[in-house]
Amino acid sequence: MKKFSHLAVPYIVWSIIMLLLPMLLIVFYALTDSGNAIINFSFTLENFRKFFTDPDFLLVLWRSLSIAIKTTVICMLIGYPTAYFISKCSQRVSNILVLAITLPMWINMLVRTYSWIGLLSDGGVLQTLCKILGFGSPQLLYTEGAVLLGMVYNFVPFMILQINTSLAKMDKSLLEAAADLGANKFQVFWKITFPLSLPGVISGIALVFLPAVSSFFIPKLLGGGQYFLIGNVIENQFITAGEWNFGSAVSVIMAVIMMMSMYLVRYIEKRNSGQEKEKKV
Amino acid sequence: MEEKVLIKFRNVVKEFDGTIVLKGINLDIYENEFVTLLGPSGCGKTTLLRILGGFLEASEGSVIFDDEDIKDLPPYKRELNTVFQKYALFPHMSVYENIAFGLKIKKMSKDVIEQKVMRMLKLIGLEGYENKNVTTLSGGQQQRIAIARALVNEPKVLLLDEPLGALDLKLRKEMQYELKRIQQEVGITFIYVTHDQEEALTMSDKIVVMKQGEIQQVGTPQEIYNEPVNRYVANFIGESNIIAGVMLNDYRVKFDDHEFDCVDFGFKENEKVDIVLRPEDIDIVPVAKGKLTGQVLSVLFKGVWNEVMIETVPGTTVSVNMNVIKNRDALSEYSDEMISANDFYVDIEEVGSLDDKDIIARADAQAWKPSDDSYTSINKIEHDLKEELGEYSVTFSTASGLSIQRKIIVVDQPFVKNEKANEAVSAFNFFKTVDEIKESVTLDTDLKTWANAMGWKLSNEDEAVDIYVDYDFDPETIKEGIYQVVFSTEGRELKVHTTDFIEEGQEVGLTFDPEDIHVMEKMEF
Repeated sequence: MKKFSHLAVPYIVWSIIMLLLPMLLIVFYALTDSGNAIINFSFTLENFRKFFTDPDFLLVLWRSLSIAIKTTVICMLIGYPTAYFISKCSQRVSNILVLAITLPMWINMLVRTYSWIGLLSDGGVLQTLCKILGFGSPQLLYTEGAVLLGMVYNFVPFMILQINTSLAKMDKSLLEAAADLGANKFQVFWKITFPLSLPGVISGIALVFLPAVSSFFIPKLLGGGQYFLIGNVIENQFITAGEWNFGSAVSVIMAVIMMMSMYLVRYIEKRNSGQEKEKKV
Repeated sequence: MEEKVLIKFRNVVKEFDGTIVLKGINLDIYENEFVTLLGPSGCGKTTLLRILGGFLEASEGSVIFDDEDIKDLPPYKRELNTVFQKYALFPHMSVYENIAFGLKIKKMSKDVIEQKVMRMLKLIGLEGYENKNVTTLSGGQQQRIAIARALVNEPKVLLLDEPLGALDLKLRKEMQYELKRIQQEVGITFIYVTHDQEEALTMSDKIVVMKQGEIQQVGTPQEIYNEPVNRYVANFIGESNIIAGVMLNDYRVKFDDHEFDCVDFGFKENEKVDIVLRPEDIDIVPVAKGKLTGQVLSVLFKGVWNEVMIETVPGTTVSVNMNVIKNRDALSEYSDEMISANDFYVDIEEVGSLDDKDIIARADAQAWKPSDDSYTSINKIEHDLKEELGEYSVTFSTASGLSIQRKIIVVDQPFVKNEKANEAVSAFNFFKTVDEIKESVTLDTDLKTWANAMGWKLSNEDEAVDIYVDYDFDPETIKEGIYQVVFSTEGRELKVHTTDFIEEGQEVGLTFDPEDIHVMEKMEF
């Protein structure tokens, strides 16, 4: 295979130009002040100071983290039972169900999110339904609930698929062995099935939490500008305000937070399972 | 020794999607027994075990455990534990946690659990391993832990589903002794499933031989080995010579055209039976002292012993020429009719009894109308056949006057006599066309018919002997010419295990004791 290794060169070059270089540039921007040029610049931590001293920005950060955590928890609560149910079905049925879950993902996420605007808007289907059922006509669109709904709706398939994979490849004889040793169905689940499916849960969390915390168009569309998240701050700094240095600094802060949170999750999993499973997330 | 029946299978039937895998199993298993369910894969042994374990439900019948029908009892309420084929150890738990699993479920106190787990680790010889990760252990160690994990719950019965299947030969042997030792030490019933007859013989108190969802025989290893009830069991357990024979009367059996004393009785007079002679029960002696004699065909060195194949009765062989000739149908010039026939050979002794019908049949003479493929009859046969060696012409004609001339060759065809095998074989040279050979669907049978090949017992000419055909032409691409076809009877061979030095080709005598002859009922297929 060695003679094919040079085929990787274009990819490596591409990665350097399109991934590594931009990331270094962002770090570079975050650490310099505005108005600099390639030959003339000065390093500063001013951008970071600005972010951490402004209560508005901290509020947005807190809001972003909290909604991402809420999204992740809800996805887990919906995703686990769904995945468990799918894994208990026959091969044929479970294939169909997995397909049904993947199917909406074939349509662009933006389009799917737009369709929620129609459903949630004033005088829309859901509000009308509320009225008929006697709940009055509550404001649905442009609320935290709408943003949460949009996020859960978009990200829950990742959670289901990850957990389902880890449940489906589980050795069924382990469950029989536990039942044989006196564990009832409930005990079999909590002592065997759940711990062994944790790697799937962890990857699910990663796949939901990371995009949720940095998402900007879901809060923009369903939150209608009233519900500002960190992704929107970054977008604003770059596109509207033209503050590339500050925007870069916020991006770096987010990246660090994400890395720390993923490390934390993996650390917890390792400690729980009590062994070094080489499970790549 | 009065022992209690612990498990009763009563008419247990199991059906999967219309396939019956268990056909009404009745079996008693006693306390403290090491029972082995033995059979090839697909015989239903694992299914039976899984029904007992509660992982499958019987379609019919009942399973009585300790005088109680356990049909509706879920696995976790049954007083038995299973050692699974691939161990099924919990990968997210340490050795200690694995073994303690069942006890923790029962909410025993911590120090009791610790005591019991430590005792188990000692029993399986893995002290000091309690904190190891199970996935890092060897197959043999994992197996022991799986056994300990089951035994620590002090079940009344331990079920083992081919537990040694994944281990290498040496480890498997070690574990066999280990398992037997553990079973004797803890003194509970072990039900062991395997397809390995040696494992079964080594460890079991009782072997249950199964075949296609039915129990063939239940008995101690000695009983199963020495007195198999039929050919299937004999074949499955150990190596054996299985010979067709006739039970003349009690204690007297006949096979290989000799009569022998035996210890079996209770068969009908002159009942056809199968006889088992174990290779290690046959002794090689000088020819004069042998009950049977034979020629050494091959000697295979097997380590401790030599496996010797001895032909006690050689086969009888006759080879004939097959003359493959051109297709030569005669066509009538006037009417729409065709006629065909072959030359043929006939034995001088048969000439006198040969009538027209026989001649038509032997010559395969036919007449037909090609336009509608209907047969017309051959109504005139002219020949000058005499009871003397030589060639004679024969003419077949139809009503319309169409005729064909062929030869009858009278020969003195001696048959091949084989005094030792008490049989004779005869066959004739014959003529056939390329098409006839190509069109034959069952060539072996047709060759026998065409050559008029026959085999019979010298002692009784009416008793036929099976004949096998051998040839080395390819019927698909055969051309005109002369080919050799060989008809032979099968020789009889015996396999003998001996530590003596034997040379191939040597004539030897064979002897055995009356109790080495195991007579079984003939198996119906």
